[in-house]
Amino acid sequence: MSSSGEIRFDEIISHYRSDPYDYVDMHAVHTGKVHFLVQEKSEVKGPSGEWKHLPGTPLYEITRERNSKIITSQTNGMVSSIYRELDGKFVEAEEKLLTIRHPLKKKEIIEAILQKVLFLFGAPERARYYFAMDIQSRIDQKGVRSVFIQPGDEIITMSLMKRDTPVYYTGEPGIIHSVYFKPGDSVDQGVPLIGVCAEDKLPLVQRVITRVKAEWE
Amino acid sequence: MPLSFKAIQLARDGHLSGLDTSGFTVSAVNKIFRYGAPVGTVFRPYRQLDRCMDSLQQLMVEAENRGEVLAAGTVVQADVLTGSCGRFSRSWYAPAGGIWLAMAWPDTLLPEFSRLLPFAVGLACCRMIRSYRVDASLQWVNNVLVSGKKIAGILCQTVLSPQGERYHLLGVGINVNNRFFPEELQDDAVGLAGLYGQPISLEECTGRLLAELSWTLGLLCYDEALALQEQESCEQGRFSLLLRSWQQYSNIRGQRVQYGFDVQKKPLYRAVITGLDPCGGLIMELQDGSTITEYSGEIRYLG
Repeated sequence: MSSSGEIRFDEIISHYRSDPYDYVDMHAVHTGKVHFLVQEKSEVKGPSGEWKHLPGTPLYEITRERNSKIITSQTNGMVSSIYRELDGKFVEAEEKLLTIRHPLKKKEIIEAILQKVLFLFGAPERARYYFAMDIQSRIDQKGVRSVFIQPGDEIITMSLMKRDTPVYYTGEPGIIHSVYFKPGDSVDQGVPLIGVCAEDKLPLVQRVITRVKAEWE
Repeated sequence: MPLSFKAIQLARDGHLSGLDTSGFTVSAVNKIFRYGAPVGTVFRPYRQLDRCMDSLQQLMVEAENRGEVLAAGTVVQADVLTGSCGRFSRSWYAPAGGIWLAMAWPDTLLPEFSRLLPFAVGLACCRMIRSYRVDASLQWVNNVLVSGKKIAGILCQTVLSPQGERYHLLGVGINVNNRFFPEELQDDAVGLAGLYGQPISLEECTGRLLAELSWTLGLLCYDEALALQEQESCEQGRFSLLLRSWQQYSNIRGQRVQYGFDVQKKPLYRAVITGLDPCGGLIMELQDGSTITEYSGEIRYLG
């Protein structure tokens, strides 16, 4: 986006045309000794199954104080780079270990561009989420892109271990443009729940969608 | 007549003095009791209320209007509830003869431990019921069952006060002397007095419950302090003391269940429980042999 808030469509679309991938960096989940289970150029798969309960491709094993943990891929793609020199070594938490190149679909490209424009409100904890009753009834009546929210509004209920916690909106005021979860879905911490768009940016967002849909084969 | 707080305190103190604290050192027990001491120090009994949780929230507002905060462990109890409901707005039948109360607990625990509050409340109810020599057991997360029938229900919510203080509201409903249930609940609900064989003093029963809540909430706080000392978390495989204790009162392993976020309205799948993970997640084996772990939602035993 330019400083004036306008999207440079040609630049962005040309970027995604020349490199239609997302690059997902995998970091050490905690300190420990790392043993890689994939190699550069290995194909990897994300979680599968009806409930996304079948883990993805094992990427690396990390061992700390005789407790070992296998970390699996959360996305489909190919290992584009790997820090092979760390194999068998002790690493610090958050150290970058490898990168997965994930091929983007048209829908994902639209979302990736939209996420540069929208305010993303993420899940506070790994839990199941559903809209607060008031928000749900407004969505049912008017549709999702007509619901205006502002900071302090109770928008979502987080359900974790049979404890319901209201989640209050903390972003900029606007319209709920994108909903990234289904009521009752399990969502990991930090993953966006909704994307909110300031009212004056709505036409811009619509142009993004139309333009990408039209230009992207 | 509303319940006598004096009689409840006597019963609580009596129960605390004989509480099952096996497996803990004297020093640990003292610390746990100190952590749990606020439970029920403020007790508001009513003849009838719409909902105990609403009344607690009202007390929270009133305290803030006076420039104070609601005391930790404040309990609201009513002989009869007229508008009680469970999760997903399910109706909850609360006539005279049962224990219907809610307690406010400030949000001072780390998320890893506050997520175990529903377990702590369920465990307290189960231990209290067992103190009447009734063989109750816990169903994940905190239903208390006797021979497959529900004897106690728990509702946990986290709320924000007008001035931004976060509280956990812990609601408890226990069928005690109430013997008659609506037709739709007759096969699924049971009362404590019927199983015990004689009417039970509600003051005595409430006192025992407060003592057990004091123990389990104290244990949770003590556990948090230990985890911080040990610099270990459940994500790293540390099994909390509370969950270890919870497991002793549960027979979930090997149960065939139906799982759903709202299992009554929308059951999702069938599975067999293989255990709990260190963070309290329910580990189940699906029909295709794969494993799934859930951290919210509910189950129904398939028998």
